Order: sequence, then C-alpha cells, then structure tokens
Amino acid sequence: MNHKELIASMAAKMNAPKSVVADLLETTVATCTELLADRKTIGFQSFGNFEVRKKEERLSVHPSTQIRTLIPPKLVVNFKQSNIVKDKLKDIPHHE
Amino acid sequence: MNKEKISSQEIIDLVATKASVSKRAAEEFLKVMIATIEEALFAGEVVKIKNFGTFKLQWNEPRKSVNVQTGEEIILDGYHKITFTPETSLKELVNEPFAHLEPVQLDTDNDFIIQETKEEVLDPLRIFTEQASEIKDLLFEINALSPTAKKKEIEREKIVVRDYFDVEERITDNVEIASLIEQPEMLDEVGADYRESKTAEEDVTPPVQPVIIPEQPEISVQNETFSTPEVVEKEEAYIPEPVEPVVDEETDSVFESTPFLVGVKPKRKRKGWLWIPVAILLLASCVVLYIFYPPVNKFGNKLLSDTKVEIVYVENVSIPGMINSLKKWFRPELKTAPATETVVVPKDTTAEDTVEIQEPVDSIQLMFDNPRVYTEFIASEQIKAGSRLTIMSKKYYGSKDFWVYIYEANKERIQNPDNIEMGTLIRIPKLDPRLIDASNPLCIQKARELHDEYVKKKP
Repeated sequence: MNHKELIASMAAKMNAPKSVVADLLETTVATCTELLADRKTIGFQSFGNFEVRKKEERLSVHPSTQIRTLIPPKLVVNFKQSNIVKDKLKDIPHHE
Repeated sequence: MNKEKISSQEIIDLVATKASVSKRAAEEFLKVMIATIEEALFAGEVVKIKNFGTFKLQWNEPRKSVNVQTGEEIILDGYHKITFTPETSLKELVNEPFAHLEPVQLDTDNDFIIQETKEEVLDPLRIFTEQASEIKDLLFEINALSPTAKKKEIEREKIVVRDYFDVEERITDNVEIASLIEQPEMLDEVGADYRESKTAEEDVTPPVQPVIIPEQPEISVQNETFSTPEVVEKEEAYIPEPVEPVVDEETDSVFESTPFLVGVKPKRKRKGWLWIPVAILLLASCVVLYIFYPPVNKFGNKLLSDTKVEIVYVENVSIPGMINSLKKWFRPELKTAPATETVVVPKDTTAEDTVEIQEPVDSIQLMFDNPRVYTEFIASEQIKAGSRLTIMSKKYYGSKDFWVYIYEANKERIQNPDNIEMGTLIRIPKLDPRLIDASNPLCIQKARELHDEYVKKKP
C-alpha cells in the first residue's frame, strides 16, 4: 500500500475528501519529522514508539584486508511496536 | 537535547494547530490513520508514507533458547513484528548533527611503511654508487679480455676445422662454457654486494679470477693443437670445476665414460648441469633488479640512472651472450656493450620526460597546481561550539570536501583544523567555480588530496 492508496482508504473511512486527508497526513508527517529531528520520542498509543537512537562510533575491521575503519556515531530512527499491537499480531497466522 | 516522550495527545494538538482544524478532527484522523496502517499491515501489505518511511510486517522464526535458571531448553514461539524503515530524507534530517562525519581509515601501519621506505631509499643510494664503480671496473676487464678470447677462439676454430669430428658443436660448447665462467663470477659478485657490501680487499680479488679462468682454455688449446678429441674432453672437464663444485662428480664420471661413448651425449648432460646454476643466478639478479628498480625511478638521480644502465647492460650481455654466443664471438667488430647502452639510455629519459610534459596540459590541473591566493571573501563566520569547517564548506560550496580551501585561506589563524579555538573569525574565500565543482570528480579528488596533506601534517 503506497501513499496514494493509504490516503484513498483513509478518505473512504472518514467520509472526507482525499485532498483534506492528504493535507492532514502531510502535516502529521511534517510534525513527526520535526520532533524526531529534535531527538524527541513520539509515542502513538496502541501503535508504537518512534524514537531516535544514537549509534556510538565504532571500530570496524575489514575481515579480509584487515583495514581498520573508524565509523562515526550516527542518529537513527527506531520504531518499536506497542504491546497492544503485539497482542493483536499474535492472532495472525503465519503463512509462508 | 531533551529526550522527553511526546504522547499522541500532544501530536493531535500540534497537528490541529498546524493544519488549523479542530482537535476532534485531528484526533479522528490520527486514529483512522493508525487503524488503516494496522489493517493493511495485518493483511500482509507494506505501507509506504511519503517523506516518512515504510512499515512492514516481519515474521520472526521460532528459536531455541535456554532457561537461565534451570538450564532447560525452551522454544520461543515465532512472532510477527512491525518494522519501520525511515526514508533517506528523514534519515538525513535526524542524523544532521553527525552528517559532517565520515568513516576514517585508521592508518596506524602507514607510519611504519613510511619509515621503511625511507630506510630503503637511503640504502640503495649508497649501494648503487658503490656498485656503479665496481661494475664499471668489472666491465672494463671483461671488455679487455674478450678480444683476446675471441682471437683464441678463432685460432682454435681454424685448428679444429681440420679435424674429422663434428667439431663445431664442441666449439660452441667451449665458447658457452667460457662465457658461463665469466658470467657466474660477475653475477655472484653482484648478488653478494646486494646482500652485504664487500670490503675493499675482497673487491680486488674477483677481477683477478676472470683473468685466470679464461686462461685455462688457452692452455688447453695449446695442448690440444692437432691432438685427439679426448684431450678436448679433458679440458672441458676441468673448466667447470672452478665454477661449481657440485658439478665435479658428474663431470668426473662423464670423463671416465667418454672414451667409450661418442662425444656428443655427455656434453648435453654437462650443458644442462651448467645451465641450472646460471639460470638460478640470473633469476636472483632479476629479482634483485626488480627490488631496486622502483626507488631508482622515483629519485631520477643521475648517479642512479647511470648504475641502472649498467645493470641492465650486464643482464643483456649475459643472456644474448649465451644464446647467440657463436655469432657474437666470431664477429670481431661487434661490441654488445655500447649497443645496449644506447638503447637503454634514451628509453629511460624519454619515458620520464613525456610523463612530466603530459601532466600540465590539463587546464584544471594547472589551476590545482598553482598556489591559490585568497583575496575576495564572500562571508565570515565565528567559531562556536559545534562549528566545523566541513559544515561551512557544505553551506557555502555545496560539498564538505572543499573545507580545505577555507582552511588554506585562514591558515594563519587555525593551528589545528580539527580543533579550532572558540571565537575565531573564519573568512570564507570566494573560489573559482571550476575548483569547487562538486560534480567533477577531479575537484573532489584534489580536495581529498589536500585534505590528506593537511590532516597528516598535524602531529
């Protein structure tokens, strides 16, 4: 499901025009990214937490050439699902 | 940086004020959004949100584990998990504070290599000058010897041609042996010099040896005159002795057997035996040459190039000397030495010249090579906590690689580009747009080179 499909299905559920939904989604995403850029954690209840984690710098050694490289620290966005979702997911049978 | 958690209620408030809708509408929207995403995920779909990221459902396989307390093996059930992969735009935005950092290759071995090369460079310099004189002396002696040797060979040919045996083969053998005797001596000396520089006394002795050895054939030639082929056999058996003691047993046995055999077969054998040490010595000399060749190229020293020419010449003499010994020995006017020298010398010089000429042709290259003068400045910035030249470079030039130019322009104020004092006023120089073309790999490469230079300089 891509961006457009998501908007379409949401609009159908909310009984609202797509353009309004699209705008709302855009502002939501914008606020979320802003907050994340501030290194804040966003918690959506019943869904999960968006969190910025810092990966510390580390020394990596190339296995075959033995070249040692210092990898600088970085910040990454991490998502952790809430327990509610986890419980819901237990009900889904495993296909594959 | 505050790490406070923002609840969905706060998000709703923010969205409501930003999109200027009622809180209720915003709340409903968020609920629906989460519900739709969940639904799609539960249905096994992948949900993509523009400028944000992708949600996926991941199945984690059941796995074995051990109960820490009891040591019992337990099986953890497989479970589904929602994963989120941020889009690159979000990734970059979040990682902005560390964006200017790059992986650094730790070159702890580099210092060691530099030291090594320095030592290597110094040693060959000394050895080459020493050898230049030694090899010169040797060559003079060989050259002085060769005309007499040729004469002897010619005399001998005249004598032997009258014989009824297939003497020609024998002559070639003799010639080859004579040349072989000379060459191992030379190569031996060269090899030994590379290993340990000889003392002056030792240097005196080897030049005498080549004088003695070629005399042996001469004596035998006198003995041999109008004699039976058996004498020739004897003489030949003697010659290898000074060269290689290992050959002795073989040659002796061959010598005993020769009266009963036709002269050709044992000679073949002997030939093979002689070739093995000679081949090994040649190989060794080649290896030695190869080892010392690179430093010679780098330095372009006159002395060095002289010695180089001579070494090449030695090699050239030895190889064709063996292969075409017949042709060369019977042409009195032919001298291999000057011929090879003339061939080798121009090659080297031309090669170096052309390389030097080709480089400055490129106009951008010329711009790189010219020392940059900074007169115009487009901006100035004060160093604050967290300020970095790379960040400024990215801001003004579009790529962080060009920070070196800012550093160059402010060199007198910056002691260590990695740690600039607070409050330092940095002037951003105006640069030729061709120099800071981020799409031109040449520019980036040049900036990187400068970077390496400046970063290495600091102790």
